[in-house]
Amino acid sequence: MSPSKDERKDSVLTASKEDKKKQKDEEELSEEDQHLKDELEMLVERLNEPGQQDNLYSKYLDSLKTFIKESTTSMTAVPKPLKFLMPHYPLLTEIYDKWSGDKSSNLVLQLADVLSVLAMTYSDDGKKASLKYRLLASDDTIADWGHEYMRHLALEIGEAYQEQLGLEDDSVDRLVQLSLKIVPFFLKHNAEADAVDLLLEIESIDKLPEYVDENTFARVCLYMVSCVPLLAPPDDISFLNTAYTIYLAHNQLTQALLLAIKLDNNDLITKVFEVTNDELVHKQLSFMLSQHNSSFVYPGENEEIQSCISNVKLHDYFMYLVKELNLLDPKVPEDVYKSHLENAKFGLGNSGSIDSAKQNLAGAFVNAFLNFGYTTDKLIQTEESRKSWIYKTKGQGMLSTTASLGALHRWNISDGFQHLDDYTYSVDDEIRGGALLGIGIVSSNVHDDVEAAFALLQEYVTDPTKMFQTAAINGLGIAYAGSSNEDVMGLLLPMVSDTDVPIEVSSLAALALGHVFVGTCHGDITSSILQTLLERDVSELTNKYTRFMSLGLGLLYMGKTEQVEDVLETIEAIEHPISKTLKVLVNICAYAGTGNVLQIQSLLQMCAAKQQDTAAEEAKLAQSEEDQLKEEASGEAATATETDGTTNAATNAEPESMDVEMEDAEATSPKKEEEEDKQEDTEPDSEDGELYQAFAVLGLACIAMGEEIGQDMSLRHFSHLMHYGNALIKRAVPLAMGLVSASNPQMKVFDTLSRYSHDPDLEVAQNAIYAMGLVGAGTNNARLAQLLRQLASYYIKSADSLFMVRIAQGILHLGKGTLSLSPFSMQRSNISKVSLASLLTISVALLDPKSFILNDSTTETTHQLLYYLTPAIKPRMLVTLDEELNPIKVNVRVGQAVDVVGQAGKPKTITGWVTQSTPVLLNYGERAELESTDEYTALSHSLEGIVILKKNPDYVEEE
Amino acid sequence: MIYNKLKNPIRRTLCSHLLNSFSSIAALIYMHPYTSPSHKPKVAIASSRLLVLHSINLSWYVLFFTDANCTRLLTQGQGPSGMPGGEGFGKKKDDKKKEKPKYEPPVESKFGKKRRKGPDTAVKLPSVYPNTRCKLKLLKLERIKDHLLLEEEYVTNQEAFQPTEAKQVEEREKVDDLRGYPMSIGTLEEIIDDDHAIVSSTAGSEYYVSIMSFVDKGLLEPSCSVLLHHKTVSIVGVLQDDADPMVSVMKLDKSPTESYADIGGLEAQIQEIKESVELPLTHPELYEEMGIKPPKGVILYGAPGTGKTLLAKAVANQTSATFLRIVGSELIQKYLGDGPRLCRQIFQIAAEHAPSIVFIDEIDAIGSKRYESSSGGEREIQRTMLELLNQLDGFDDRGDIKVIMATNKIESLDPALIRPGRIDRKILFENPDSNTKRKILTIHTSKMSLADDVNLEELVTSKDDLSGADIKAMCTEAGLLALRERRMQVKADDFKAAKERVLKNKVEENLEGLYL
Repeated sequence: MSPSKDERKDSVLTASKEDKKKQKDEEELSEEDQHLKDELEMLVERLNEPGQQDNLYSKYLDSLKTFIKESTTSMTAVPKPLKFLMPHYPLLTEIYDKWSGDKSSNLVLQLADVLSVLAMTYSDDGKKASLKYRLLASDDTIADWGHEYMRHLALEIGEAYQEQLGLEDDSVDRLVQLSLKIVPFFLKHNAEADAVDLLLEIESIDKLPEYVDENTFARVCLYMVSCVPLLAPPDDISFLNTAYTIYLAHNQLTQALLLAIKLDNNDLITKVFEVTNDELVHKQLSFMLSQHNSSFVYPGENEEIQSCISNVKLHDYFMYLVKELNLLDPKVPEDVYKSHLENAKFGLGNSGSIDSAKQNLAGAFVNAFLNFGYTTDKLIQTEESRKSWIYKTKGQGMLSTTASLGALHRWNISDGFQHLDDYTYSVDDEIRGGALLGIGIVSSNVHDDVEAAFALLQEYVTDPTKMFQTAAINGLGIAYAGSSNEDVMGLLLPMVSDTDVPIEVSSLAALALGHVFVGTCHGDITSSILQTLLERDVSELTNKYTRFMSLGLGLLYMGKTEQVEDVLETIEAIEHPISKTLKVLVNICAYAGTGNVLQIQSLLQMCAAKQQDTAAEEAKLAQSEEDQLKEEASGEAATATETDGTTNAATNAEPESMDVEMEDAEATSPKKEEEEDKQEDTEPDSEDGELYQAFAVLGLACIAMGEEIGQDMSLRHFSHLMHYGNALIKRAVPLAMGLVSASNPQMKVFDTLSRYSHDPDLEVAQNAIYAMGLVGAGTNNARLAQLLRQLASYYIKSADSLFMVRIAQGILHLGKGTLSLSPFSMQRSNISKVSLASLLTISVALLDPKSFILNDSTTETTHQLLYYLTPAIKPRMLVTLDEELNPIKVNVRVGQAVDVVGQAGKPKTITGWVTQSTPVLLNYGERAELESTDEYTALSHSLEGIVILKKNPDYVEEE
Repeated sequence: MIYNKLKNPIRRTLCSHLLNSFSSIAALIYMHPYTSPSHKPKVAIASSRLLVLHSINLSWYVLFFTDANCTRLLTQGQGPSGMPGGEGFGKKKDDKKKEKPKYEPPVESKFGKKRRKGPDTAVKLPSVYPNTRCKLKLLKLERIKDHLLLEEEYVTNQEAFQPTEAKQVEEREKVDDLRGYPMSIGTLEEIIDDDHAIVSSTAGSEYYVSIMSFVDKGLLEPSCSVLLHHKTVSIVGVLQDDADPMVSVMKLDKSPTESYADIGGLEAQIQEIKESVELPLTHPELYEEMGIKPPKGVILYGAPGTGKTLLAKAVANQTSATFLRIVGSELIQKYLGDGPRLCRQIFQIAAEHAPSIVFIDEIDAIGSKRYESSSGGEREIQRTMLELLNQLDGFDDRGDIKVIMATNKIESLDPALIRPGRIDRKILFENPDSNTKRKILTIHTSKMSLADDVNLEELVTSKDDLSGADIKAMCTEAGLLALRERRMQVKADDFKAAKERVLKNKVEENLEGLYL
């Protein structure tokens, strides 16, 4: 007796004792069993007797079949008839061979049918006998044998298909035919997962839509969509397409739209709109598109629907939300600092001794984040304009402070422009610059026909004053993020390609373009950025701003996976060490959100690149060959250090100061080079050489955030990187952790970050502090707030770190806890490219916090880069609208979302819910449900963001 | 000696403050202005006990002052009072500050946050849903595997460059040096602040001592056992395993020899126990697919000698899961609260070693119906049962623990104990029918040397009311009778006599029952 399938399953528990038991079984049979055994044996013998009537044989086979089918037994053992028939299996196969020549086809088919079932329990050492006889039997009887048999067949089909693929086309076709018989059975019997798996094995998932019906499609699609992030291309795309087709066929437009957005295909989106003429549905779809900052243009005529896509009304709904939540009173930074709770043991009063301008600037940022979009505040918009907080800051701080006015009025274009208008005529250049940036921030993600921001900023882009120039460029980048606005391109592209423009301005222009055309693979921009990188002087490329040029290029290919290959090849042509950094950056952007393990592997290998001493040895060996390269590298190191030194000294606001620096740097570099040679190349890997490693760490986060397992596992990678990595990698790790769980305050993440925030390397600590803010962005998380307060007293003496703590506190209380920085939307299924681009930009800037965000330079673009967060900020609200798009109050249940993929029955999708009336705030991982589905029906499948409710005409109020 | 010098309250506070911040007595000796270099050796050879006492005295003193008070006094000492000690100290402290500007405050440490299983929650692998067997699960598991492989690759690469192991060994040695040898064991009574705690030694005396910085504060919680330095009595380590050694004895290391093959009959019972105990542990997905929760436990009941314990032994023999076996009476302990505690620990151990099977024999020892009782012992037993109820189906999810209970008095058990949800299946063991009796007899006689005249069929066809145990007794009796006559074979006569004897004993029992 050979171990059968079912018994094999038990072998974990019952290993060697099985044999003994079987012997006993054979000896001791109850009378009932003996009877059954005898009958079966008799049937087999009869079958074996030649020369009988065909209908007799048929009768025997029928009764055999009945025996097998009718046996009910436990799930722990093989059905008894099968067990008794097993010894006769070889005999039956012989009979089959005999018959197949001379008996009627019907009989042969019947026997094959029985044999196929028997073969399931008979040892199959790769022969796939079950499948073999199945193929020989008729297809009609396939469903007679039950679930276990079907599964077994599906298993064998999968194996056989892989073996025969490309060898025997006929049999492959036959297999597919057979599978398509099995699929409906699976679907009918609650085994959607099996159906999908089988179709995946035989590579014909596109055939699925015809088999699903209204009862099964939801579960099938849910299963398919949750498989997508784990499948290797091109299966993932075909899954998405199939699911899209199914949703469309069953009129689930909002879900179809989500998949279309995921597929990044405007044609598919248009198709969704074309399915129905219902304007309300169109509006609902538009609201969903607007959440993704989509640049989609509504195909129809209706202005109102386009305005929904363009977020024009978002301000009204947001104000409705805050009014209902009673949050209208403006808050001041002190409300979140809560310095009275800070441990004042070591304090010398509140930041009394340290740079007050810097702290005031931090206050401005905190104020902006805190009252983000509320239009009111107590610091900037004071009754007497001279008392405004703006005048308590200086230099670039004034610029950022003025720009914060834009943040306060975000989404509210008309009022925002009015407020900023006063400042555009100010005598202070900084304030005017700030107003320009503010204009960009106000209109971020909100677009109308007038395009006022573009009109206002246009003239300043070419302004000779660098400050206006950069402010306007940044403003444009923020305002039009994700919009693919061609006008902006026309304006900024010359700035990128013109090599006479200072590298800083040029890089920022490239960055802005990257944001505007995020994930579009725009050819013109790509070529001009690459051209610039090729043409620019080598020394210019070592400038710290070049990374933004690279980032701009990367953002263009956000999430485009393989389409990036051409660009990577072109990058090879750049003979500057920057090409490596560039390549990494472009690559991580391209694979962002895919969870691609191969990419993660290559990034990890980069981080594991040789340590300095070994690298130095090798460099010595290859000295002669790499002479040229090394000169550049060391020159570059010199420049890097030199620029740091000189930028602080540089006071001239004219762009030519940059050139002066460059000359200086070049002049000093030979000297430095000699010194370095003397030191036996202790530092052959210059800053830039390592920089690509830091990008690789950020890339880990970007790629891994695509699916939940990656998110979890990346945290493990990070802890290893923190343990082994060099200084730059360590600096990047907290940022990457923040990226992975933006606005998702998990204990394990911020506990680790809080540990890093005491790192001896101040820059690691600062980044960890920022990441703590990012992790809790907009959640008001009390524990994080407490940790940050402790950090505030810990770093009371370090102005830079304290600044960072304040920023983190501001981000933590973003919009008084109503906003979110999470790039995910719609139940964490889709990643918004615009949001991710924003978060990535800040992270890239913070890789070197001293030269960007914490820089006190008066000439360069520094902390205003923080406003690149703006496009990522969106309300985490649920507002319900009636058919006239006016907000209405309904009761909803809000609870933790449950993953119901593959679960039997109709499980609840949320757990631990609380009933609230809309508008409500949704935390990370929470889901809402309508309390009474009778009264209203939601037009969207998930209650998130702005949802239109339709009144049920049949609803009768209960008494 | 030192104490005398510290009579001045202000300086005493200074010193204790110092003690607080530098958390070692060495610092105290070194930093004190009066301890001139010539004094130092003397102090060093002074009785360690004395030192400890002093430090404790001083430290107690601190307890009366809040931190704020200390700082206030500190500034006073530096101020116009112009005491030489105060000045000197102040200067030293300033120097210290310049050297290490960021000494204070240290990262906030968290006490007593019990982390169950695994060193760090961040290191835990993500859990995989759904449980059904499907491609999605496979893909997810493969993804986890991929990541783990990447990790391995990275770590091995990095280890090649900068081996941590050697470093760890070195650090470990350092810590061991600091710990000193021998150590003593004490109990943590109370945690005062980040660096100090009150401990009591086995002798019963309590000390205020410092906690060494390398001690994992996450593991410290009141009433846990700690390692103490032999001289300074400062805490140098935490003893973690607080489970009763009694419980680990219950864990079955050597599986019993009885297997399913040694059970005659009982097919239905075996099937039921397999379905509700073994299968949920090996194939949880079957239940998931069906959308049901697998049963939590079974109770085996029936007349004595029908094979309840034998079946449990067979389960233990077959399973690769952890098998814990206890007898109900073991849970009855001498001291109040010990029984419930033991009960808790059993399930805790079971959870740690999940998947596991807990077998409680003779459950009626503690599981009998509750009734009003004035006896403390009775009440304690009832409390133990209540704990058991909670463990079976309480607030916390127990995970992969299956419970088997056995009793022959199911009617006397508390209904709460055997309600569905706690015990989902009640398996009845009846006296064997003739067929089963034959099987049992074959099993028992298979290893005996029988004479040719023994007809097993004859022995069991009768309608005698024999249980499995009776049959076994009969075989043993027959063997003994044969031995008495110094024969090497058991004859049919022996069996006949043995059967009579066994039946006679049985009848007597029954008669007794009649007269009662």
